Order: sequence, then C-alpha cells, then structure tokens
Amino acid sequence: MFEDRKMETMTAPAGMELVYRRPSTLVDTPMHYCPGCSHGVVHRLIMEVVEETGIQEKTIGVAPVGCSVFAYNYLDVDMQEAPHGRATAVATGIKRVHPDKIVFTYQGDGDLAAIGTGETIHTVNRGESIVVVFINNAIYGMTGGQMAPTTLLGMVTSTTPFGREQPVMGYPLKITELIAHLPGAYFVTRQAVHTTAHVRKAKKALQAAFEYQGHNKGTCFLEFVSNCPSGWKMTPLEANDWLEKNMLPMYPLGDLKVPGRN
Amino acid sequence: MMAEGAIQAGCAFFAGYPITPATGIFKAMIDELPSRKGLALSAPDEISAIAYCIGASMRGFKSMTATSGPGWALMTESVQYALMTETPLVIALVQRLGPSTGGATQGSQGDVLLAEYCTSGGYTIPILCPTNARECFELTILAFTWAEILRMPVIVLSDKEIAMTTESVDYESLPQMTSQDRPKNSAFVEFGEYDKERKNGTYYFHALHEIPIFSPVGGSRKVTATGSAHDKAGTLQKNSPETIDVLAHLEEKLLWRADDFVAVKQDLDPAAETLVISYGISSRAAQDAVRQSRKSGAKVSMLTIQSLFPVPRKKLRQATEGVKRVIVVEENLRGLYRSVIERYLGPIQVRGVNKIGAMITPAEIRSVIEGAV
Repeated sequence: MFEDRKMETMTAPAGMELVYRRPSTLVDTPMHYCPGCSHGVVHRLIMEVVEETGIQEKTIGVAPVGCSVFAYNYLDVDMQEAPHGRATAVATGIKRVHPDKIVFTYQGDGDLAAIGTGETIHTVNRGESIVVVFINNAIYGMTGGQMAPTTLLGMVTSTTPFGREQPVMGYPLKITELIAHLPGAYFVTRQAVHTTAHVRKAKKALQAAFEYQGHNKGTCFLEFVSNCPSGWKMTPLEANDWLEKNMLPMYPLGDLKVPGRN
Repeated sequence: MMAEGAIQAGCAFFAGYPITPATGIFKAMIDELPSRKGLALSAPDEISAIAYCIGASMRGFKSMTATSGPGWALMTESVQYALMTETPLVIALVQRLGPSTGGATQGSQGDVLLAEYCTSGGYTIPILCPTNARECFELTILAFTWAEILRMPVIVLSDKEIAMTTESVDYESLPQMTSQDRPKNSAFVEFGEYDKERKNGTYYFHALHEIPIFSPVGGSRKVTATGSAHDKAGTLQKNSPETIDVLAHLEEKLLWRADDFVAVKQDLDPAAETLVISYGISSRAAQDAVRQSRKSGAKVSMLTIQSLFPVPRKKLRQATEGVKRVIVVEENLRGLYRSVIERYLGPIQVRGVNKIGAMITPAEIRSVIEGAV
C-alpha cells in the first residue's frame, strides 16, 4: 500500500551510530505548524508508535477542524477529516464496522471540549475502543487566538482582551477529569511534550494507549497539555515556560485512570 | 463595519463562535459592545451562539450573531425556531467556499440559497447583501429595522472578500441611521383594544399579515412561545384551522409588505439592450465592467440588488423594460440567484457569468456584455 512512498534511507557515517531519524510513517515534508508548536512533536510520537508496533496498514486517523486539519499531510496512514467537533462520532462509525482496525482521533480543545463535548462524552460513555488524542493549548489557534473552554482564568485572548473573567466566561473546563469518571473510559492520562523528559513519558502513554485498544475494553483518552506560541503571543521558549508555570497547575500531569488500577 | 452598524442600531446582545471569515465581527463585538451598554459572549458552538441570541431577543434585547457556512449549517435549526416563534434576530453570514468545511479563506457566493431555503416549508427570510464596508454598516442597521418590524430573523449575507479586506470608510460621512425599535406594548405599555381580545394570545392577529405585538418573556403578561405548530395563544396544536392560519401568517406578514422591504442600486440606461444584475462582491466587478463597456459604446444598464429576498420583483420589472437580455454575475458554480429570478424575467434571454475559487474580473463580464446578443 505504501511501497510507492520514498522512504528515508539515512545511514550513519562510519564509526557513528544513528540514534535519531524521522519515522518512516511520517511523510517527508515541511510542516505548516508555527515554530515551537506542540503539534509536530505529538504527530511524531504517534507515528513512532505506529511504526514500532507495525500497525501502519491497519491504522485509521480522524482529524477535525482546527490547526490539525492538515494532519493528513504528515501522518502516513489513512486519514479522514471530520466536521468540527464530530471526530469521535466519525471514528465510532469506522471502528464499529472495522473492529479489527486501530482507530484514533486527533482533536484540539475547541473541537473536543466545546463544539464536540457531546460527542466526546457519549463516545467515551459507550466505551468505544478508540484512542482519543486531545491537544489542549487553551486557545483557538487557527482562527486567531480566541478564548476556548480550557482558557485559564485571567488569560488574555483575542476574545478576552482583559483576561478570562469567571462571572462572564465561566471556568476552565477540565474535561479529562470529567471523562475519567465515565465507566467507558479504559485509560485516561494527561501528558505534556515541552521538555525531553515529558516527551519520553508521553510516548510511553501513547504506546500503552495503542496497545490497550486491542483489549477492546473501552476508550483510551490522552490529553497533551500543549502550547500555542502564536496564539499566546510568545516565543517558543517563553511559551514552554508559561505552560510549565500556568497550565500545569491547572492541568496536572499524570494518569487519571489505568487499567487494573482504578 | 457590521459591528459598528449593529451597535448603532441598538444591538445589545451578541454571541459568537470563532469561524473564519466571520471572526472579525465576533472580535469587534467582544471589544466594543461591553463598553457600549451591551453584552458579548463566547459560545461553545454555533448552536449555542444563536440560541443565546434568541433568548436575549425574546427578553426584549436586539440581538445578533455572526458565522460562516459550516456554522450556518448548525444554526439552521434555531433560525427556523426564531422564525416560528417570531423572534427578531440578525445573523451575519459571511460566505466562504463550500461545501462542508470548504475553503476557510476562499471567498464565494455559494450560500445564497442555503441561507434562504433553510426552513421546512420554504418560508421567505429577508436577506440583505452588502457590496463594501460602508454598506455593511448601512445594511446591518437596515437588517435590525426589518427584523424588529417583521419579528423574524434577517440575514446579512457578506463574504470573505468583503469581511477580510481592509477598506477606508469616512466615519464622519456615515449616515446617522437609526433602527426601528421593537414595536412593543410589552411590559411597558398596556395593550388597549388588543389587550381585551388577546387574552393570553402571544401571537394574536386579526388578518394574516398583521404582526403580533411583542411581549417579552418574563414581562408583566404570560407569554408562551414554541417552535412547535401553535395557535395564536402559542399553544401546541397539530393542524387546527387557527394553527394553519398562524403558519400562513408567518409568510404573509412579509409578502404583504414585500414592496416596502426592498434595497437596490439602479444605474439604468433607457436605451439599454443589456441589463447586468449582480450583488455583493461580484457587483463591484460588474459595475466596473458596465462603466468600461459604456465607454466602448455598449448600451447597458446595471442593477445591484442589496435585498436578495424577498425578491425585488417591481425593481426587476422596471430595470428589464426594453431590455433584450439579462446577465447575472455571481461567484458560484451555476448561478444560484439567477435560478431564482429567471422566472420573473419572462421571455428575456438570461445568461450567467459564474466562477468559483476566484473573484470574477471585470474583463470576464465585459466579454459577455460586448459579445453577441
């Protein structure tokens, strides 16, 4: 199916060992994401897992509307773009008729926790055996940095010019905590990718999630606390620093539900 | 400019959801409305955004939302609800290339019929279509006036090119337009003779074309509003004669007044053999083309339609007098508005200039104007 793709054939110079290369499951093309954006890292991690577990041929991804709308340009598996918010609903249809396939969705916070809240909750409540990858950067990136449900209190966005005020705009929605309570949730975890150590942990979580999908015991839900340097109006380094200081206290990292443990 | 027009018209409530190319209106309302005695809210989706607006409007506040094609698709349920409950509402629909998610930053005039025919039953919904930034201001005020008088949703149909192009507007020269306030007895004035007959009738009218006087929910009298088929009291009914009257009234109240709800720009040549009809962004290219063709001696008239619906039939008839052929210019695949007005043009030859994926150029229109009849 993928033979016609030009695979990267990088070799190490004599006497040196090749320790890092682009996974063959990631298309060799420049990404459109802004410098420092977490999307590129998470794309790569998913595709490393797909490559290492040899499931490229049977993996189907569903991407939504938002910055990740172009995910199909980079992830070298069958991809379907869903209408805004409907990714898990479309994924449900795919998985129900192809229980043998590995199905994942890749959604932002606006998509998953605002316009798609109903789909998200009901998909997990039904315990659909899919992997949900949830990128939470607390903002609508593609449309120019508007307030999202996950925007922190006091955070300035283009639609909260004086900071998010609870009496008018409500509280940041911790949908992952909400999801973890549902019996249909099999594995729920919150990760980040802003440092090397976090990237390593995040990959382990993704490996587990894709493996768990084979158990057919429920939904694997992975939140990635992410940055949006453009939307936050910061440099990538400032954004990662701000994420550490502001996002993580509100969205603490770690497993919320692990098979056999809760 | 739409936001500015809305605020001048007395809009006090706005709710939106980010969507290119309508986000600018959302952002402007968030920035401006709170300091000008209004409330602007972010909604978790378009379904909620329009529903917030309907709630605020039913309470008596002039309300507006803004969206683009994919968001409009989600809003249509509540647009029908606003029509059925006779709730004044202005919706700015900024078109982008469809279908589906389409092209977020690509202009189009493809939502003309999707907007107009979004109701079961095909009820006429007024659509105003600006051609530039200044008209965004003027027509938004007009839209509020129409919505308030008619007690129904009114659409301002813009597109990406108009919404996302920076244009100069001289604020000093803007007309001091005021918008009609909602004719209301409401909580503030008593009904007089209506009062006696009306009893609990939220939607009381004598003749089909009469517009029931507005009473806000939460006011001094009991109000029952429902999107289900209802009698004049607002009580759910299936097909009682009174309910059928109410359903006919929803259309009749606009059609009876249709001649008063017209906005066109005429540039007619009495000797013209050709009439160019256009609207929105395409009419700017069409106007240029007509100017240039006249310089080369062509006898041609131009009709820019700002009020697409109800179809300005009288103006069409006037403009087509003595004309041998009509050219309809619009940026969509097969001439959506042309398919609507063709039936009013009788035996006159009708041609379309259509294109998607890019704006129509004056040269493309000229080649048709100056081509053989």
